[in-house]
Order: sequence, then C-alpha cells, then structure tokens
Amino acid sequence: MNSLHSPSHYVIIGNGAAANKAAAVIRKRDKESRVTLISNEFFPYYYRHRLCAYLTGELREHELAVIPAETYKRKNIRLRLGQEVVKIDFSAKTIYLKHMEKIHYDKLLIACGGRPRVPEPLHALRRHFSFLKTLADARHWKARLPEVDTVLMVGGDLVGTKITRALAAMGKRVVFMVDRASFWPLDLKDEQHREFVGALRAAGVEVLEDGVRDITPEDGAYLVTTREGGRVKAGLIGAFFGLTPDIGFLAGSGIDMERGIIVNEHLETSVEDVYAAGDCAQIYNPDLRDYWVSMGWHNAKRLGVLAGENMAGAKGSTGVPKGALFTMGTLKVRTSWWKEL
Amino acid sequence: MKRQIDITIEICGSAGDGSIAAGQIFNHALSYLGYHVMNFDSYPAEIRGFGKSVAHTRVSDAPLHTPGERVDCLLALDDPHSIAHLARLKPRGVVIYDSKPMDYHEEDQAVAGFIEPGMIGYGAPLRELSITALQSAKSRNIVALGVMAGLFSIPPEAFHYAIGKRFAAKNKGVIEANIHAFDLGLEHGRSFEKADPVSFGDADLGKRPGVAVVSGNEAVAKACLDAGIRLYAGYPITPATKIMEILARQLPKQDGVIIQTEDEISAIGHVVGAGFAGTRAATATSGPGLCLMTEFINLAVMAEIPIVVIDSQRAGPSTGLPTKTEQSDLNMAVFGGSGDSPRPVIAPASVEECHTLTLTAFEVAEAFQVPVIVLIDFFLSNRMEDVNWQRSAPGRFGQYSPPPVDPGGAYRRYRLTDNGVSPRALPGDEGLYYVSTGLEHNERGFPDYTAANHRRMGEKRLRKLDTLGRQWPEPETVGEDELEIGLVSWGSTIGAAREAIEVLRGRGIRAGGFFPRLLWPVHEKAMRRFARRCARVAVVEMNTTGQYANIVEQTLARRVLRLGRVHAAPYPVSDIVDAIMEDTRQRA
Repeated sequence: MNSLHSPSHYVIIGNGAAANKAAAVIRKRDKESRVTLISNEFFPYYYRHRLCAYLTGELREHELAVIPAETYKRKNIRLRLGQEVVKIDFSAKTIYLKHMEKIHYDKLLIACGGRPRVPEPLHALRRHFSFLKTLADARHWKARLPEVDTVLMVGGDLVGTKITRALAAMGKRVVFMVDRASFWPLDLKDEQHREFVGALRAAGVEVLEDGVRDITPEDGAYLVTTREGGRVKAGLIGAFFGLTPDIGFLAGSGIDMERGIIVNEHLETSVEDVYAAGDCAQIYNPDLRDYWVSMGWHNAKRLGVLAGENMAGAKGSTGVPKGALFTMGTLKVRTSWWKEL
Repeated sequence: MKRQIDITIEICGSAGDGSIAAGQIFNHALSYLGYHVMNFDSYPAEIRGFGKSVAHTRVSDAPLHTPGERVDCLLALDDPHSIAHLARLKPRGVVIYDSKPMDYHEEDQAVAGFIEPGMIGYGAPLRELSITALQSAKSRNIVALGVMAGLFSIPPEAFHYAIGKRFAAKNKGVIEANIHAFDLGLEHGRSFEKADPVSFGDADLGKRPGVAVVSGNEAVAKACLDAGIRLYAGYPITPATKIMEILARQLPKQDGVIIQTEDEISAIGHVVGAGFAGTRAATATSGPGLCLMTEFINLAVMAEIPIVVIDSQRAGPSTGLPTKTEQSDLNMAVFGGSGDSPRPVIAPASVEECHTLTLTAFEVAEAFQVPVIVLIDFFLSNRMEDVNWQRSAPGRFGQYSPPPVDPGGAYRRYRLTDNGVSPRALPGDEGLYYVSTGLEHNERGFPDYTAANHRRMGEKRLRKLDTLGRQWPEPETVGEDELEIGLVSWGSTIGAAREAIEVLRGRGIRAGGFFPRLLWPVHEKAMRRFARRCARVAVVEMNTTGQYANIVEQTLARRVLRLGRVHAAPYPVSDIVDAIMEDTRQRA
C-alpha cells in the first residue's frame, strides 16, 4: 500500500523514459516504499519520438501509450499528472507544487527532461512558434493542420527534419528556413549541410537559406519577414532547435547547475539523496573529463535504470554513452549526447 | 419532454464554509433562468464547524426525478473533504479549487493533487478574491459561484438576483459586497481557456423570477399553514425540525399556536387534544419520535380523532444515522400500536407532493376521523425542487361540517354506518354531547366490553379505510400492455424507479411502474391488475427488511424481487438498473 506511513518515499519529477524506467527499477528492488511520479503533463507515459507518426495519422493517440494508467496502480506507483513543481527545499526534503501542496521525499530523482530551445535572437518571437515536444503540442498541430496550407519550419533538429518530410508527404507547402545554427546540437560539415538541403528539396520542401527577423500575426496566419527582406506567409511556424534542460524551478535552490543539473557518473547531484537523469542532467564523465547532456529515448532509458538502481542502493556508473544512429533524409548522424550550447 | 441539458454540480466544504448557502444561491439562480433543479445537501450530524457539508444540485431543461449520481462539476471549498468526491465525477468532469489557499496543503490533502487524466481542473484564487471583495475570506463560496458562472457562461444577473434574495434580510452593503465578490470570480472564470464539455446550453427557457425553490420540509410547513392549522406541537428532531422552525415564525401570523413540548408524547397529546376539540393540528417527528407517539395514535384511532403526524424517516434503529435517509418506518406507521389499529399512511414522492398530500392528509383525517401518518424521509425533507404552487390544488375529501342535531334521540357519536364514518360533533355543540374514551365503546361512546360490540366497532373502524381506499385516486402506473418487469416503489424512491424505467427501456427491456401514494390501505385491485401484466415484479425501497415488499407479496400472493437496500443516501438509479439486468441475465 502506497500509504503515508510507508518506510520511505521515492519521488521522481518527470514522466518520460528516464523517470519511468527509474520508477520501475525502484519498485522492483523495493516493494515496500512509496514511489511517486510527478509530471506537469496530463498524459501518462507515452512515446515522444512517435508524435510525428501520430501527427500524420499513422498512429492513433492510444497507440502512443507506453504504460497504461492501471499498471501504475497495480505496481503501487502514485502518478501525479498535470502537477507542476515550483520549488524544492532540499534542506527540508520538501517539494512544493504549483497547486499549493507540499510533498516530502526521502530520495529524489529529477528527470524532468528538456524544453524546446529557442535561440536567443528569437526569444521575443517565441509565442508565435509551435513546438512538438509533448502530446499537447501534437494535439495542437493536429487541430491546426487541416486549416493550414503553408508551414514554415525554422531550426532543423532531428524531430524537425522528420516532421518536415512528413508534412511535405501530406501535401502541405513546407518552407524550411535553414542556417548553420539550425542543426544544433549537431555541427554539420559543409558537405553534410549541402547533402541535407538537397534531400529536403528532393522531398518537395522549399528551402530558404535565411533567418527570421520578424513575425506579424495576420488573418489567422503569420507574415514572416526574413533577415534578407523576404516574406513568407504561413499558417504555422514550427520551431525545432533542440531541447534545453527544463530546470528553471531549481533556480536559487542551492543545487549545482550549469547547462543542466550537474551530476557525477553515479547520477548523484550536489545535494544528498537527490539524483538527476535524462535530458535535464549534465553528467560528468571521468573518461572524457568533461560533462555531457544526453539525447534520445534509449539514452534516457539507460540513465533511468541506472538512477533507479543507485537510488535503491547500488553504485553504478554511466560510462561513455554509445552513439545512436539518427537519420535525416539520406544523411545519417551518430550521436547521443551534446556538450556545447 | 426530452432532456437536452442534464448537469450535476457539487459544492463541497467543511461545515461553516458556506457550501450549503452557495448551493441555495445556485438553485435559485438556475431556476430563475427557467431550469428545473433538484438539490440534495448532506451535512454532518454534529454542530457547525465540524465535518463535511455538500450541496448537490442537478439541473435540467426537463423535470427531474432524482438528484443524479455522477457529477459534472465539483466545486471544492475544502480540499481534504473534496478528495473523496472526485470519484463521483463524470468523464471529463470539472474540478474548481482554490489555487491560493492560506498556506501549502500537506501531502495528499490538496484536491488538485488527485486530479487524474479524464478530469479537468481549474484553479482560481478564491480566498484572495474574497479578501479583495470583503476584506475577509468569508465569501469564498460566492467567489466560487462566480468562477463557475464565468466558466460555464451562466448569465450573472441570475446570480445577482439570487444573492439579493439570499441576503435580503441584511443591509444593502452586504448584498453589494457579495455581488462584488461574485463578479470578481465571474471575471476570473471567464478568463479560463475552457477545456471541458459542460454546457448549460443557450436555449431560452423563459425566466421565472417568482419560482419557488423549496425543500420537502418547507412544502409540508406550507401545507400546514394552507390547511389552516391552529396548533403545532412538536419536539425537535432531525430531519423534521425545520418544519417546526418555519411554523414557529409563520403560525403566529395566522393566529396559530406553536408549542415546543418536553417530548414527543406530550406533542402528540396536544395534537390529539386539539383534534378532539375540532381544531386542525399537526406534529412532525422522525422514527424515534414516532415510537413514542404510538400510544396516542392508538387513542386517536379508538376515539376517532382526526390528527396528522408527519414522520420524516431517517436511518435507524434508535438514534441511528440522524442525517442519513431511509424508508424503514413503514412497518411502524402501518402496524405500530396495540390491537387492530387501522390508520391511513400517505407517502409523497416529491417536494410538490409534500404540499399537496399533506393538505390531503388533513382532509382525510377529518373526513374519516382518523390519525393520518404522512411518511416522508430525510431525502425528501431536505431536497429542494422548483415548485409550481398553482398546481398544488386541494384534494377531494372536503371540509368538516357538523352533523345535524337529531331532535328525536340521543346523539350517537360512533353510530355504525355503511362507510364506517360516524357523525362527528365537537365539544360544546348543543345537544351533541358524548363520551370519548380509549376504552372500547358503544355508539354513544360509553364503555362496552362485549365481544359483539368490540367486533362491530372494530369492523366499523376498518370500514372507514375501505371507504377511503375506494375514494382515493387510482395509483399511478407507468407503462402499458405486457411488461417484463414492473417496479413497485413508494415515497422518495419513486423518482429513482421512474428513471430506472427509462434506462431499462433504453436497453430494450419492457419496464413499467406502480407508484402508490396511499400506502395503507393498499389499493389491492389496482396492484393486482398491474402485477398481472408483469412477468416479474420488483419492489424498490430504502430498507433492508422489505417492509413494502412484504405488503406487496401478501397482496399479490406471489414472490417479488426484493430490492430493499440502504445506502445512507438516496437510492441510486444505477443500483436498480444493475439489479434488474442481473436478474434478467440469471433468468435467461
């Protein structure tokens, strides 16, 4: 029974791959303790990397689910959805939620993932962008797309390139605005860049080697002025500049942070009994003698397992992550982590 | 009339949070707009400041029979108490909660912490807005109503009207401050990005500013006043106390007298005395009080004195569950007492019938010179409905008129007649003197212990009920021709049975109903006629011993499906439907 009187309380902030893997491992190793997952999304754990297939209609919404909600009940894991952590008092081991509830933890895993990154020059235009990080985002795209003829894509991360091709295949006019910063965190060589652009054009995508200067809402659409003075009218503007750790709620908490939450190779943070994993963690690797931030589903799962094991008493290390193969048209890129902003 | 709008809300708070008051304002506002409302509150048995109070209201564009089970919107004024109510939410149901309480809730004490996928939560700073409006948190309930009105686009003028009505006894400043609090909530509610399916529609239902939204107890009290009673004697007891509270204010205005007696025995003693003297009088009580009254009821049977006793049943035995509903006093009402003690028992099925049938009870009492017991229950006493008083016309049994003086002989107060009703004179009527006693007596009232006299007089008293049975309107039936299942029910449970019939028919089962209001004497012919059309008969009532089912089985000489259940709450329609479906499966 996941009651308030159980011996200890594992709290996991996040509901992605790392968070869920950690919860499962903890429950497997510790049958008695309370396990709570807190997510600011309203949806139980789903395949984020399949959102594009949902958008195109290849998958229905229920097919995105990884674990049915009943499984959490069966495993006695308390799932708190739609709940936002606003601050953590590490000295009192207390988490404060936006809806004015406080939760005590004995061991905490922060696996809150990333949020869509928008390059600084475009911050003021953020409100006009549509992202595809969450199922709520996907629902927004799905609701808007039937009314939209032209989609402007800015940024070219792995998700963005995938959705670009999918939209073109759906018969939408897709304009892809590309510059050297578009592929962050990948640093494509000139030859790779040309190959990528060629592949997009071959797929029927209009490619503009330019950047966004301004956006003006107009008649339910957006009029985009480019840096070189061009104009594009689009019903949706998709922004895909990768993710950046979503750790704003930890500001001033005292935990060590840089680009992400700094953890050692055991995923321990600077605060006792607090761990971090997944896209929000900046992990020290003694072999690299540097920090890295993970990317991708499989990497997150691996880190989640390690975090769960270590929280439940083990002392495993992350090691150097294996590169995962990502396909961008005909271009294949192997990576699973990034170091620089 | 086909139901287009069917919305149930709950306002849940701690006693003293104003959830019941907010519910009443909501009821008045919605009925002002032309909706039908049925409200049933629940609150603790103990004093103010402890326990949970819940205002529960169902709203529709068509007449309602039950307060509904599943909830469309939960308005949480107290987080810990509200958590259990989340289970009652319909899919995509709404939870409105205070997003800025005084302090953080402890773990698992915040209702928002239990909002799951399939529920839609809206946090609004109820306390903060209340302080802005009134410099105090007292009007959180009014702010919350505003939030709901804004979210669901309910016209605010209806609430302004209802707030004015609610605080009519206060000064103008109080009304204005509360309307300001409401408007602050309204503005906040309108700012939400609406994600729920709840809609009160945009149909013009026609405003009804004068419509009465009253409880069963209020309807009974109004019936007492409309019947012209001159005396009410009672001893306070939940759930009947409200009747006495109302009459304490209103009865003196029409030259009536109210007496709070030392106990129920004394109360009914006063009423019997008034009845003997020819003055309309009543008392209201609950099960434990009715126990104490049985001796005087017997006296009224024997001495043929008209009195009306209202019994608002609650869960028992003994002190039992004073604030929970049940229908388990039927045996006592019909059979309670010594000897053969026939008395009519009438059970209203709605708030409006609490008025009409209580009026009828006074007429029956006088016409047949009997004690009449009106059986309501906690649910009926406290539920509120919009009532059209104009339709509540008096019944058919007429007013008292003194018998003509027989110049040729001695006055026979208990004369044996074909219909059992004897000429009743009042004390002091010239030439119509008689002896009135609880002893068995002859036609002039003098004690007579002979077997033959006892038999004749006993039969005469029973004959009065036969006469009443013949004069009483045919019981209501639902459904024609052959029925797979016939639901028999009584009192406040008729509403649930009626809705269950609709559900069962929707599932292809030919269901019908037999819904008597006069429980005793039984309309045997009508019941048998109905039963002959039914492959199965089920009796739905809120007791576990099947008190009416026993009467039905005895009348029909056949077994019935006994759906006597106690829920400490109104009978859920779904329970009836599930039981019938299960029985149908088993028989198949």
